[in-house]
Amino acid sequence: MMASRSVEITILSAENLQMNKRAIRGNAFVTVKSDASSNTSATRVDSEGGSYPSWNEKVVMDVPFHARFITVEVKCKTSSTGSNSVGVARIPVSDFIGGYVPDNQLHFLSYRLWDGKVRRNGVVNISVRVKVAEHHSNSTPLPPPVTGVPLPSHPSTGLVTGIPALWLNYQTNSSF
Amino acid sequence: MGNCCSDVAGGQTAIGGTGGHLNPANAPNDAVDRFLRSRGYNGLFSQIELSFSASGLRDRDVLSKSDPMMVLYAKGKNGALEELGRTEVILNSLNPTWITKQILIYHFEVVQDLVFRVYDVDTQFHNIDVKMLKLEDQQYLGEATCALSEIITKLDRSMTLDLRRREDSVRSTQSQNCGKLLVHAEECVSSKTTIEMILRCSDLEYRDLFSRSDPFLLVSKVVEGGNHIPICKTEVIKNDHNPVWKPVFLNIQQVGSKESPLIIECYNFNSNGKHDLMGKVQKSLVELEKLYSGGQGGNFFSSAPAGHNSHNKVLKSLLFVDKFTESVQYTFLDYLAGGFELNFMVAIDFTASNGNPRLPDSLHYIDPSGRPNAYQRAILEVGEVLQYYDSDKRFPTWGFGARPIDAPVSHCFNLNGSSHYCEVEGIQGIMMAYTSALLNVSLAGPTLFGPVISNAALIASQSVANGGRKYFVLLIITDGVVTDLQETKDALVKASDLPLSILIVGVGGADFKEMEVLDADKGERLESSSGRVASRDIVQFVPFRDVQSGEISVVQALLAELPTQFLSYMRSRNIQPSL
Repeated sequence: MMASRSVEITILSAENLQMNKRAIRGNAFVTVKSDASSNTSATRVDSEGGSYPSWNEKVVMDVPFHARFITVEVKCKTSSTGSNSVGVARIPVSDFIGGYVPDNQLHFLSYRLWDGKVRRNGVVNISVRVKVAEHHSNSTPLPPPVTGVPLPSHPSTGLVTGIPALWLNYQTNSSF
Repeated sequence: MGNCCSDVAGGQTAIGGTGGHLNPANAPNDAVDRFLRSRGYNGLFSQIELSFSASGLRDRDVLSKSDPMMVLYAKGKNGALEELGRTEVILNSLNPTWITKQILIYHFEVVQDLVFRVYDVDTQFHNIDVKMLKLEDQQYLGEATCALSEIITKLDRSMTLDLRRREDSVRSTQSQNCGKLLVHAEECVSSKTTIEMILRCSDLEYRDLFSRSDPFLLVSKVVEGGNHIPICKTEVIKNDHNPVWKPVFLNIQQVGSKESPLIIECYNFNSNGKHDLMGKVQKSLVELEKLYSGGQGGNFFSSAPAGHNSHNKVLKSLLFVDKFTESVQYTFLDYLAGGFELNFMVAIDFTASNGNPRLPDSLHYIDPSGRPNAYQRAILEVGEVLQYYDSDKRFPTWGFGARPIDAPVSHCFNLNGSSHYCEVEGIQGIMMAYTSALLNVSLAGPTLFGPVISNAALIASQSVANGGRKYFVLLIITDGVVTDLQETKDALVKASDLPLSILIVGVGGADFKEMEVLDADKGERLESSSGRVASRDIVQFVPFRDVQSGEISVVQALLAELPTQFLSYMRSRNIQPSL
């Protein structure tokens, strides 16, 4: 199995969507995929918001560790099977993973959409939360504080087992 | 609220409740804000009720104990006192607890200094209304003073003050013991509860000739005299006799109470504005909640000609409540009471365009007479308000655009001269670090904001990582237009996802047009070079040049939006104050 992490993406809304310089009339939906996997998720079609659609729909994706981008594409449904692309936004994974804030923090992110002719289109609003494996999670009770790590008895090797200070700090402060 | 249906498109949308549904084309392009407003979060509730008690008052009566009364004043900027109200007189008590409460409007953006004076009211005056009492005829027991923000930032919102005699406050040190005054602040609570309901109807009647009706609901409250005041209406659902509307949000404050009767009318939408009434029903929120829990419908009545209730006919149409939830929307003050803080940070422009600090025409000129320059005024005015919300009063303070001794131009250096830490103690600490930095650095350029904003963002993100209950406010004071506009935008877009707001004050006579681009109130939504867009507005910009100290300050306008920005961050993330 490919190494990946689970990412919860909520497609909130989009603003000022246009096609051929005209506000779209509706029937917009969104597809989400990463650059490292072929799985695509899609939202329902919004029929009410016109060029300001809102979905508020949660998509859970497995994002491979080597993925660099999430691609969010807003499309417009034209018939029961057909659709046109309205605009695409490429979201760097680094916008929600690997910053100074813990990974499981909820991020509110907005991106400019670009159409097929690389013209600026509207904006798409999403929120992202990286699902962290259970034992890292903030909500689980903390294990009793670790004061020492038992070492395998190799008295002469002089090896020291270190724990990253940042990690300890994060563990002790996350109990609120 | 209660808008007329002037045009068809506008007339069909839901209006009112606690959040007017804004026309997207005109709405501020701040998605989170709009989302919150549509969920019933609007504005701040800022009525504060103060209650008072005292202990150990001085005894001034010969045969009995004092009969104390407390008078509350607001102290204006010029020191003038304005009386806000008086308590009742409590007989024979040196430890009175007054029943009379005082209601004040809380303003985040100004320091509201209060003065409390306690008097012993002589027996001969006891039959006179307290408002008519002449205070100069009463025995003065002592007074105390504090700022409203000092009280509300206390965890229990209570503050004990030492009462002093007026002449003591001048001689300060040797004060006679006049007892203590306890002031407790409570936010007026009625406004915090919001009800969310999903309303549905069944078996509505045919009203249109060739199709089904296009129903919508109008919810009104009944006021004295039997008049109806509309509170909200739902969107129009086309061609449906069993419509389910989007959730309706009602604030208890709008309704009055959960027991107050509400009139719910169902209309058939007509584009000429003459919507016909298909039936109405009168229920209080309590009764609607019962409909919800019982899963039963309430019958609509046909409306009788004006005023004749007795002829109302029961209709087949029913009103159902599919969802009924009560939620408390936490206010800014709830977060403060829950231990959240605003942390103040300052960055000062040391670019050469400010002029040689030794010359009087420089913006950085330190006037020997002690009159503060524009930078000092901006620090004092903003800091004066914000310091109360920062418990340790240690403020990160930076300079940018100058050459520290023996070093190249720095775009973010610690103003205290240290290479390790950036904090200074208190507003005085900022002022001292500023004046000493003026002697130790040489002004240079260009004007870059990026490094300062990134440093502030780093502090904010470290606080998030440590689970800190903090919101950061960076004040940037500058005399010129930024050179690194795109880099600044990139830093701001990244910071929009952090608990951080940025206030930019422009001093001097430069043309600040370009700076307004950064303030989403005035320009477009900020966009970074990579195509990411700011998820919320975190920047406020004001030019400071026209402001004379002592007048109504632009700083107030600058700070007024901070609580809203704070709440948009907390609420969108569903962070609770956990009282």
